[in-house]
Amino acid sequence: MSDQAVTMGMPAAGEASDRRWVSHAVQHAAVFIAVIALWEASVQFGWVSKLLLPSPVAVVIAWYKLAISSALIWPHFFVTMFEALAGFLIGVVLGGGAAIACALSPPFRRLASPYMVALQVTPRIAIAPIIVAWLGFGMQPKIAIAMIICFFPIFINTLTGLLQTDADAHEMFRSMRASKRQIFRELMLPGAMPVIMAGCKTGISLALIGAIVGEFVSASVGMGVLIQRFSFQLLLPEAFACLLMLTVMGLILFFAMEVLDSRLVFWRHDKRLAEKSRRKAARYTRRA
Amino acid sequence: MSSVAIEQSGPKAVPRDVVVRADGVEKTFDGGVVALEGASFDVHKGEFVSVLGPSGCGKSTLLRLVAGLIERTGGSLTAYGTEVTAPRADIAMMFQRPTLLPWKTALDNVLLPTLIERRPTKEDRERAIGLLRLTGLTDFEFAYPQHLSGGMQQRVALARLLNAGADLLLLDEPFGALDEFTRERLNLELLRIQREIHATIMFVTHNIAEAVFLSDKVLVMTPRPGRLAAEIDVPFARPRAIELTATPEFNALVLKIRDILGSRS
Repeated sequence: MSDQAVTMGMPAAGEASDRRWVSHAVQHAAVFIAVIALWEASVQFGWVSKLLLPSPVAVVIAWYKLAISSALIWPHFFVTMFEALAGFLIGVVLGGGAAIACALSPPFRRLASPYMVALQVTPRIAIAPIIVAWLGFGMQPKIAIAMIICFFPIFINTLTGLLQTDADAHEMFRSMRASKRQIFRELMLPGAMPVIMAGCKTGISLALIGAIVGEFVSASVGMGVLIQRFSFQLLLPEAFACLLMLTVMGLILFFAMEVLDSRLVFWRHDKRLAEKSRRKAARYTRRA
Repeated sequence: MSSVAIEQSGPKAVPRDVVVRADGVEKTFDGGVVALEGASFDVHKGEFVSVLGPSGCGKSTLLRLVAGLIERTGGSLTAYGTEVTAPRADIAMMFQRPTLLPWKTALDNVLLPTLIERRPTKEDRERAIGLLRLTGLTDFEFAYPQHLSGGMQQRVALARLLNAGADLLLLDEPFGALDEFTRERLNLELLRIQREIHATIMFVTHNIAEAVFLSDKVLVMTPRPGRLAAEIDVPFARPRAIELTATPEFNALVLKIRDILGSRS
């Protein structure tokens, strides 16, 4: 009977869905090959200047040089990733903390809101030179810029999530004489988690933008520096290879957030939920 | 029998078996809206009392006042002889929506009142599993709410209510969002459970037949402003079977209440 309960609502992974998956993969591959072929052709046949648009083959060769034979790209790659991650984590702490303070204290919310709106409407990238003036040329200004740029979505999503706590559930907690702290920990925070995670997914992409912008303003290492340098030297295959690596970095960060999301907000992922039920039931039967 | 209950105010000894005593309880909201106008009634130990009326009659307000969730603006309201001023351990409440936490299993949801008091022990867990059995959820202890039907979710909420260990249970249209069949079955189970644990129940509903079938006493309320119009005793013997609803005596009582509601709203 319990199996029936925990499998309800799960998609049937039948043969039909397998076949659909394969046909979709084939379609994607076909479109990808067509686009690359068109790109290669337009360069080979001289429709576009080789100087402006490097051919896919040239980009792959440049990438191979940078990433494998000289391995020159990796220090830059990891510096940029570190800056983005560090800025993001500080943004989570500060944005989340400010949102919690605003959610729990209406006076604080009232007093803080004009500044939050000002922070939102100001193009935050414009603060980058000022931050560099303050913090110099190391990694700190890039981390600070990444933090400032990703702060807002994390702040606003955390605040929204905390404020949309179910009123009935809140009353139920009150009827159980729960303390404010317990209401926060057991109801408000987990309830806000799906919205907070959505903010974090936006935030991590913005943090990467912030790190690159910081490197454009002033730096000696980082992917932003590399792209700028190659572009100035008109080494566009190398610049494109760097861009490709930034796409990869963005994907890594995004998928890391997806994995975190499926752990922290497991109840929104039906498969994980069913698996968790089964595991807990099994653990209980074993102990009994 | 349908007389408006008027208790004389003034200090006097509360009889031992009076669980709730309301004396001119009033609630006016901030905007000046009178939600409840001077309600006086008693609820005795082990009684099943329904609070019946159309929407806007103040029946939910009355229940929230008894729960200590909102403050009254007038009158006196005691439970077990002491004034109700805030939520208390001897009163527990259940809502129309199950309000289960989707990140907790059925068992952990039932354990929530325990968790608020202390760290749940193995014995707490066993008792909670027992309560899930009592509400008909054997084998669903580790299912998450979203894998349970509406009726089953409300059974979990009922088990959680019982786990609060309160003697006075307040139910605000607990099965109102469920289909007719599920609601009828859960009502019967509620009566069975009440017999088993000897609880005192206040039950808000807008369904006249449901109120008569379940209750020892029906508090009939009318809207604009919300007031207690009548207190009806229901004399039918217990345990009651669903066949009771087909008897002339039952229908006469339903009609009588319908008249009170019809003539005054």
